[in-house]
Amino acid sequence: MAATVRPVQRKEFKFRESSYLPEVLRGLAITTRQFWRNLVGQRDIVTLQYPEVKKRYPNRFRGRHRLMLRDDGQVRCVACMLCSTACPANCIHIVAAEHTNTSIEKFPQKFEIDLLVCIYCGFCEEACPCDAIRMDSGRHSLPTFSRSPQNIGKIDLMEIGSLSIAKQGGKNA
Amino acid sequence: MPTLKIDGQEIQVEKGTTILQAAQRLGIRIPTFCYHPGLSIAANCRMCLVEVAKSPKPMPACHAQCADGMEVFTNTQKVQETQKAILEFILLNHPVDCPICDQAGECVLQDNYADYSLSPSRLFTKKVHKAKAKPLGPKIILDAERCILCTRCVRFGDEITKTGELRVMSRGEHSEITTFPGKTLDNPYSLNVVDICPVGALTSIDFRFKRRVWFMSATRSVCTECARGCNIRIDSFQNKIERYVPNYNPKVNQWWICDSGRMSHTRWTANRVTEPRNTRTESSKTAISTRDVADEMAKALVTSGKASAFVLDASMPNEDAFVALRLARAVGSRLYLGGRAQNGPQDELLRLADRNANRTGISAIAGPSPLPGLAEFQKDVASGAFKTVLFIGGEHEGPDKWAKLLEKVSVIGVLADIRSDLVDIAHIVIPAAVPQMREGTVVNSHGRVQRIRQAIRLEPAGVVFPYWRILKRIATTAGLEATWNSERAIFGEIVASMPQFAEMTYDKLGDLGLPLGSNGLSDVDVDAATRNIDPSAPQYRKTNINSRMPWQH
Amino acid sequence: MLELILLSVAKVMGIVMVFVMAVAALLTWIERKQSALIQNRVGPNRASVAGLRLGGIFHLAADAVKMLTKEDFDPETDNPLMFRLAPFLAVVPVMLLFAVIPFGPGEHFLISNVGVGALFILAVSSLGVYGSTIGAWASNNNFAMLGSIRTTAQMISYEVSMGLNLVGIFMIYESVNLQDIVIEQGSLIWGWLPAWGIVLQPLAFILFMTASIAETKRAPFDLPEGESEIVGYFVEFSSMRFGLLALSEFIGIVAVGATAAVLFLGGWQIPWVQGTGGWLTVAQVGAMILKTLFVVWLQMAIRWTLPRFRYDQLMRLGWQYLLPLSLLNIFITGVVLMFVEQGRI
Repeated sequence: MAATVRPVQRKEFKFRESSYLPEVLRGLAITTRQFWRNLVGQRDIVTLQYPEVKKRYPNRFRGRHRLMLRDDGQVRCVACMLCSTACPANCIHIVAAEHTNTSIEKFPQKFEIDLLVCIYCGFCEEACPCDAIRMDSGRHSLPTFSRSPQNIGKIDLMEIGSLSIAKQGGKNA
Repeated sequence: MPTLKIDGQEIQVEKGTTILQAAQRLGIRIPTFCYHPGLSIAANCRMCLVEVAKSPKPMPACHAQCADGMEVFTNTQKVQETQKAILEFILLNHPVDCPICDQAGECVLQDNYADYSLSPSRLFTKKVHKAKAKPLGPKIILDAERCILCTRCVRFGDEITKTGELRVMSRGEHSEITTFPGKTLDNPYSLNVVDICPVGALTSIDFRFKRRVWFMSATRSVCTECARGCNIRIDSFQNKIERYVPNYNPKVNQWWICDSGRMSHTRWTANRVTEPRNTRTESSKTAISTRDVADEMAKALVTSGKASAFVLDASMPNEDAFVALRLARAVGSRLYLGGRAQNGPQDELLRLADRNANRTGISAIAGPSPLPGLAEFQKDVASGAFKTVLFIGGEHEGPDKWAKLLEKVSVIGVLADIRSDLVDIAHIVIPAAVPQMREGTVVNSHGRVQRIRQAIRLEPAGVVFPYWRILKRIATTAGLEATWNSERAIFGEIVASMPQFAEMTYDKLGDLGLPLGSNGLSDVDVDAATRNIDPSAPQYRKTNINSRMPWQH
Repeated sequence: MLELILLSVAKVMGIVMVFVMAVAALLTWIERKQSALIQNRVGPNRASVAGLRLGGIFHLAADAVKMLTKEDFDPETDNPLMFRLAPFLAVVPVMLLFAVIPFGPGEHFLISNVGVGALFILAVSSLGVYGSTIGAWASNNNFAMLGSIRTTAQMISYEVSMGLNLVGIFMIYESVNLQDIVIEQGSLIWGWLPAWGIVLQPLAFILFMTASIAETKRAPFDLPEGESEIVGYFVEFSSMRFGLLALSEFIGIVAVGATAAVLFLGGWQIPWVQGTGGWLTVAQVGAMILKTLFVVWLQMAIRWTLPRFRYDQLMRLGWQYLLPLSLLNIFITGVVLMFVEQGRI
């Protein structure tokens, strides 16, 4: 590809600009006007008073993960590890185990997400073949006083889980 | 010598060569399921159908023999349609539960579907359901739904182990693999059916759900469980060994491995010795290091001089044995060749009674006069000839009570990789690396020199070392010269001084090894060997065992 | 004698403790609040006493409590004494400035009527550089050291033109005593124009303000220490030691305000009002305070208006523009004064 060069005309500074003073005064006028406007007059302030006033997150906000449930309340996840494979931060740690029910066969004995490592990219829910992990909880990760509570396990993840409309195992199962 | 054309390329082959073999030689890939180079030809999956000029119907490439003037096409529209139809048929009742299937990632069905079909299912009725997670024996679980009825496992039982436990039962879409009533699949080689199963129908109970295969790093190595020296692939994840899988070596184990060899990695992980110990002196230091105990051992050896003995492990790699022999001869110690039992289970296929990996190699290095064995050692030590004994290796076949036998010995030292009775009574315990943590060479009972490779990092780092490193430390402390800095360097020394190893290098040994006295010339057509490897075997990934993420510590 | 001491103590308490410290403390809050309002934000407003927030003014107390209760970190240094001394070396010179500043007519609103008051200000303000240099040296930190080198270079560069700017004032009012200068500024030119420094020396005022802001190390000259982005000389200081260093900057702002008010804005003089005594004195003190606060406000507004200079620009401005302009100012003042004395104007 041939490089196209577009010369940019730089503005020549006249004495008025290069002497700073009128421009400094002009800037001062702007900031002073804004100061008084916000102090006594019409307030342009955009800050939200966070704990009292909350902004609604957009629908596609990726919040804390949750593990969806089967109809009987068991975890929907089948421990296929596709989420931990897709995870660019390596924050999902799953230990699979044999389920007593042979039709379920495989389930996550341990399902841990290290929220401190997680980058909230959403690849895990994208990779999940059975709608088991979602990031639509609308909750963001809260600060804690130590690291360990940020490594959330299966129970915590399932607590905010719910049922899925997708049929487990696919349509011909 | 028929000459034929495959996809326009001409090739001359020996009589009796199949189209598939000829195509492999040309580097043309023909998809297969039931074909296995080590088994008889069943030609029942029909995946390898190719078009042959003047033939009214496509022919199975694995079965059809080459004829003079034949013209074969592997990529015509007709072949492609056939392949799609076959795959649709095979996948008709396949549950497609790849997410929970252990084979996913090394599955021939996945690969072939991705490469030759990618058509969606047109089935609108329910799939046929068969037995799920049905144990066929103590080591193997069958998922009949995933089975594509290639009968590789049946043929393996019939032809290789000649036990014939497995059969196909029922007809049509209800066909399924099963054992005869009252019989279980439990022979010393049964786990090979898990490897040859192209799909996830047969899974090993040991490895089931343990790790997804794409997470693991593969390292080519040699099984040290018996004197056969079967080639293996060590699959590891985050510095933990997850499984052994056989590797093809036409001169040693073909495609197979025995179950005890396959499962031997658990032995290495369960009983490791990971800390040095010295019960002889009350040390003022709270923590003693491997170096400290090695120095202590060196002092004891030097003080005892001729009243000391070395007991070598017949499993230890050549490099370690070489260093140990040098050290022992310099100190003036008597040398014995110990090791594990020599009366293990033996059969015609692979297993050998000698449970040590390197007896041939150590004997070759030790020189013309054979080293005395453990029986002589017991006699000599009972006579009170030794003040200091250094055992190399934790496992030695011995009397029921080592303590009673060795009660007159004032210093018992062990370079221990594995915990045993002997390690428990020893005064000085120096932790050593297990074979998977190091490089080296071993010589199997047929005189084949093969490389063992490092699959996992030394752990705990700074505490365990390979035998030769500890022996080097002992030698240096004893005032001897020891300059080797790697297994390669020691092997170079062995090659320089032992005519049987002449011309060998680690690189020349390669994947398949060389026989003793071969002057570095391979006795295997490496090209043919790679062609013969089961096409379903996963490719080796480049592994870097030292790389890991900071949070994976 | 005792009376003199008591009186001096009372004056020190009144001026430094009540006025200067109060304003400096308030500035910590005002600066945040002002910048917030300029930038359409709210600013600190969370601290509350009994549910009352009052625009977050209690952050003053909260900050003080925080500073006092935070860990007092000692870096590994060979000069612990110097490290502890540094905050005082920084804060004492700026406080000393107020010794000679007249806040009202007569002796009562001036701690010490030094004959060479203006020179005292120049002398003492240049001592401030020791605080930052010694502090940075003693904190055994390369970044702090680099910061203090920047500080030193900057303060020395701008001290020169700051001093030269005052020469014009001295020439016009024929005194270096600040009280005398203020009294002189009470006269009127042509009967209606107050003879303030800013009227007679407009160029000097601008140059003086520029140099002063550079001296107090505030934006657009905050290269020695730029809060979130430039590591500065007090990076190793924590707790109230840091508080003292920060406070010294705010006191410096008040000092610049008071100095500028005295030298250029007529000090305590109320234009067109002559004489002193009674309520008029009170009004004049009030005028001085107002003028001081105006200059303080001006410095704050400039900080939140102008972007930072690059270091080469900073040096070029100091040596290539401010210094020649200061000398030019002295020359023009001299020429004009010559003509005035010869009666031609």
